[in-house]
Amino acid sequence: MSTKTKDAINPESQIQNPKSKIQNRLSSHPSHKVDYTRPIEFEFNGKKYTAFEGDTVASALWAAGVRVLGRSFKYHRPRGPFALTSGDTNAMVRVGDEPNVRPSMKLVEPGMAVESQNVWPSLNADIMSLTSYGSRFMPVGFYYKAFFRPKALWPTYEKVIRNAAGLGYVTTDTPDTYYDKKYEFADVLVIGGGPAGMSAALSAAKTGARVMLLDENPYLGGHLAYERQSVDTKNGGAKAYELADQLAQQVLAHPNIQVELNTSVFDIGYHLWVGAVKEGWTNTDPDSIQNPKSKIQNPEARLLKIRAKSLVAANGAFEQPLVFENSDLPGVILGSAAQRLMHLYGATPGKRAVVLSANRDGLQVALDLLVAGVQVSVVIELRDQPDSDLVTVLESAGVPVKTDSIVTKAQGNKGVRGVFVSQAAKELPLSPGGIKAIRGTKEFVICDLLVTSVGWTPATGLLYQAKGRMDYDEQRAEFLPAHLPPKVHAAGRVAGAHSVKAELLEGEMAGLNAAADVGFGKGASKKLQNEVAKLKAAEPVRTSALTYIPGGKKSFVSFDEDVSIKDVRDSVAEGYKSMELLKRYSTLSMGPSQGKYENANTMALCAEANNQTIPETGTTTGRPPFTSVPLGALAGRHMEPVKYTPMHDWHIARGATMMNAGLWKRPEYYGDPAAEVVGTRNSLGIIDVGTLGKLRLYGKDVPKLLEMLYTNKWSKLAEGGVRYGVMCNEEGIVSDDGVTANLGGDEWYMTATTGGVTGLYQDIEWNLQSGWDFDVHAVNMTDDYAAMNLTGPNAREVLQPLTDIDLNNEAFPYMAARQGTVAGVPAILMRIGFTGELGYEMHVPAGYGLYLWETLMDAGETFNITPFGVEAQRIMRLEKGHFIVGQDTDALTNPFMAHLDWAVKLDKSDFLGKPSLVRIQKRGVEQKLVGYEMLDSNIVPEEANQIVVPNPDRPIGLETIGRVTSSRYSPTLEKSLGLCWLPVDQSEPGTEFTVRIRGELHQGKVVPIPFYDPDGKRLKS
Amino acid sequence: MILIDCPNCGERNVAEFRFGGEYNPRPQNPDDPASDAAWVDYLYLKENKLGVQKEWWYHRAGCGLWFLAERHTKSHAVEKTYFWEAAK
Repeated sequence: MSTKTKDAINPESQIQNPKSKIQNRLSSHPSHKVDYTRPIEFEFNGKKYTAFEGDTVASALWAAGVRVLGRSFKYHRPRGPFALTSGDTNAMVRVGDEPNVRPSMKLVEPGMAVESQNVWPSLNADIMSLTSYGSRFMPVGFYYKAFFRPKALWPTYEKVIRNAAGLGYVTTDTPDTYYDKKYEFADVLVIGGGPAGMSAALSAAKTGARVMLLDENPYLGGHLAYERQSVDTKNGGAKAYELADQLAQQVLAHPNIQVELNTSVFDIGYHLWVGAVKEGWTNTDPDSIQNPKSKIQNPEARLLKIRAKSLVAANGAFEQPLVFENSDLPGVILGSAAQRLMHLYGATPGKRAVVLSANRDGLQVALDLLVAGVQVSVVIELRDQPDSDLVTVLESAGVPVKTDSIVTKAQGNKGVRGVFVSQAAKELPLSPGGIKAIRGTKEFVICDLLVTSVGWTPATGLLYQAKGRMDYDEQRAEFLPAHLPPKVHAAGRVAGAHSVKAELLEGEMAGLNAAADVGFGKGASKKLQNEVAKLKAAEPVRTSALTYIPGGKKSFVSFDEDVSIKDVRDSVAEGYKSMELLKRYSTLSMGPSQGKYENANTMALCAEANNQTIPETGTTTGRPPFTSVPLGALAGRHMEPVKYTPMHDWHIARGATMMNAGLWKRPEYYGDPAAEVVGTRNSLGIIDVGTLGKLRLYGKDVPKLLEMLYTNKWSKLAEGGVRYGVMCNEEGIVSDDGVTANLGGDEWYMTATTGGVTGLYQDIEWNLQSGWDFDVHAVNMTDDYAAMNLTGPNAREVLQPLTDIDLNNEAFPYMAARQGTVAGVPAILMRIGFTGELGYEMHVPAGYGLYLWETLMDAGETFNITPFGVEAQRIMRLEKGHFIVGQDTDALTNPFMAHLDWAVKLDKSDFLGKPSLVRIQKRGVEQKLVGYEMLDSNIVPEEANQIVVPNPDRPIGLETIGRVTSSRYSPTLEKSLGLCWLPVDQSEPGTEFTVRIRGELHQGKVVPIPFYDPDGKRLKS
Repeated sequence: MILIDCPNCGERNVAEFRFGGEYNPRPQNPDDPASDAAWVDYLYLKENKLGVQKEWWYHRAGCGLWFLAERHTKSHAVEKTYFWEAAK
């Protein structure tokens, strides 16, 4: 044995501090991300375990000998970590009250309570796992086939299925919390902090570009971080993990590079809008970043919304599992997972290992295992000529390397206890098809660990989202970027570069080109580009085209969803031939990992079952989220704005029940709405109408604008006049209503509905900016004015002493507007009558609102002034027969249907909706909005109750001919009345109709409106 | 989220804007009964183009100006933006 060989396999030569030997752990080493001096206690399924700072849940439990973390989704098979990456969703756990946590990503924190999911009654004795012992498995499409009939039983089925198939559960009493979001900007965004990503970030940053580098792990380095062999760079050789640290130091020290760790990109949208979630975002201490041993993660996650000008995807590749019987057994792990366990966390992967290898990485893992003190029983090589340098080292250490061999089955109950190996019957390299064993060569090898390294799947999901196109490279058996959109680049393993030298150079090239895209530097030199192309072309093939070993019954392509090889074949046989259909029918790639470790195998199996090539079969559409994202991070904070009128606190102090009116809060009532009506009608009331839409209009052409906006006429409205108007859209549908006052001097004041004013203002602006050549300036004053309506027979008497405006009925008649002061406050007063009583609607600058309100309350005390809310106002307006746009009208209501013929002046030269209304008038209308009263005044229909006629052909013997849109008991008239829609021929006053209220039929009749004060004497007095 | 290039403020997230629909000028003499088809076309028959579409945008969270954009409806590339005066 040579010295070099001894070094490579002698554990002692790797040990830094032999005294730090910890039970169940390898000796500490600079590549470790765990700190043995900082133990952490935590719980798994109620039992206490010790982890070290930097451990993930998966690594800590593995080190403690716990490999089974949960049960699978469908058959409740025991499952544990197999990849130790973000895509490893094989056995998700519950942490505290958070379900579906990936154990390989979750760092252990002191006191953390971790539980298994999907187990009943317990992890070790799971009753549902008996489903595996049935005569046959649940066939693919089982739920579709078994539970769709009879339909009435579906709710019962659903309960059972949900219990059986659930992944975790949600606790609804979890304390409310919120997640923040952050907007970020970058000239060059680099996804992935491995060799290619760090190289890209550095080369781009050197051009002066502002670079952002994201990585999902709590450290930089990518695969270098968990590798210890020497790697070749353009500056000579280096140990992989040392190179990772060197590059990380440069990246972290560079002023142009912003590094975000624990950050997973899940979405690349149009114009490089990138969504990412950063967990534990508070840690920004550069010294501790490469050394996560010293920090406690903040459990918070923050959504990053990043606008990048150009992008480098350097997010690597997933190591590809091989599918064979029982390959889902805990203890069957990927080569990179074994390296992560040993080299990041100091955890021993097992005692006796078998390594299944199809590339140089597999042989390297075998060596790494030896160094870590694991007995390697045999290396099963799929290839006929594995790398001779590594084979020599292995064989000199006494490890047999069997070429042209395969593993046909893993054996064990809750973990691997051995594997069956055979000679392969076919010559290698392999086709997408399976490979058979040669009869009689089967051999059982005892082991507690099977490590597989058969290839890599480039993580192209994000590139698909960025609208890239990948082509299948048959020689390399990888889908590689073939066409990327402008300003999108790929480097490293995602682009098919596997040697560190190629990754670094391709990263450098991509970084320079991405920077050049946004005006920094000149891009990569021709020489560099050629060198990268040459290096990539010269690389050995890393990925075996072989995807499965035939013959097994329980051979799972998808661990997420327990989909077997047979299920894939059955689906194709049943006609779900395309990948998109196969995916939906079998649920392949629809599980928590979104198929990261199953897509490549699925494609190969689908191609084989269809007798196609892999490029012919194609792939599925890559959609966000690329990786698991906490829903809370997407939901973010509750950010809906709320608007308060200046009198809001007064209303609250007065005990008002508030309601929403658009973004506003308004008093619905203070006490009894009927009493508020009576108080107002008999003496005096006051209501806060500050939520009304309010526009000021300036300019000599305002009348022309109003003529176009409203259906009625405005040119002759004199100074001091106020007029009601209805607006329509171009379809002739009622869109808004309100009043506008001529204040004189080319100044006008318009009110509109609370919900409609924002759109109305924007539409006015659109018209003014796109061809209405009017001398008009419109300003939306909705939030700037407070408004209140003082109404009731005693309104004038209370208000006159407070104002300089003459309130005499001749001086300030109904439908007039005046400007002046009220209680010293500049005010616009309008005499309009939504309530049907004498009333003054006062608009004052918002800052004076509360003062004026309180002044009026004091002044009205002698007349028992009643503050009233929206409910009383609704009753009073209904008594007057006024409709409300949006309540009594809908998206099909034209003014002729709503008794507004009088307000539509088709003799005007033009207005919005006129061409439609001309045609509608000609055609006539079929339904009308009318007033009604119930024959029995104790019966008050609910709004939206149906008006019906008998029709034996209909299911319940009734046909709907109309509906109630407003309904109240009128305390003034002591009647049940409202507004309803009826066919025109049944809309004449006196016509009786039947309304269906909670299944019972009641009689009403059409009556003329207004119901109250039909001549408007009270209004005009 | 796509970017829209406001001719007044520059490139901003589309969330700052209100979409105003296809550029769809009102027909001449719409009251003329002979123009029924043109009026129906104006109201209801949107082109729904695959390709570069001329359309209205309003910068509601910005300058409050309406402008026209020529946007590819598939790639969302916004090729040109300009005020109405420039469109005449």
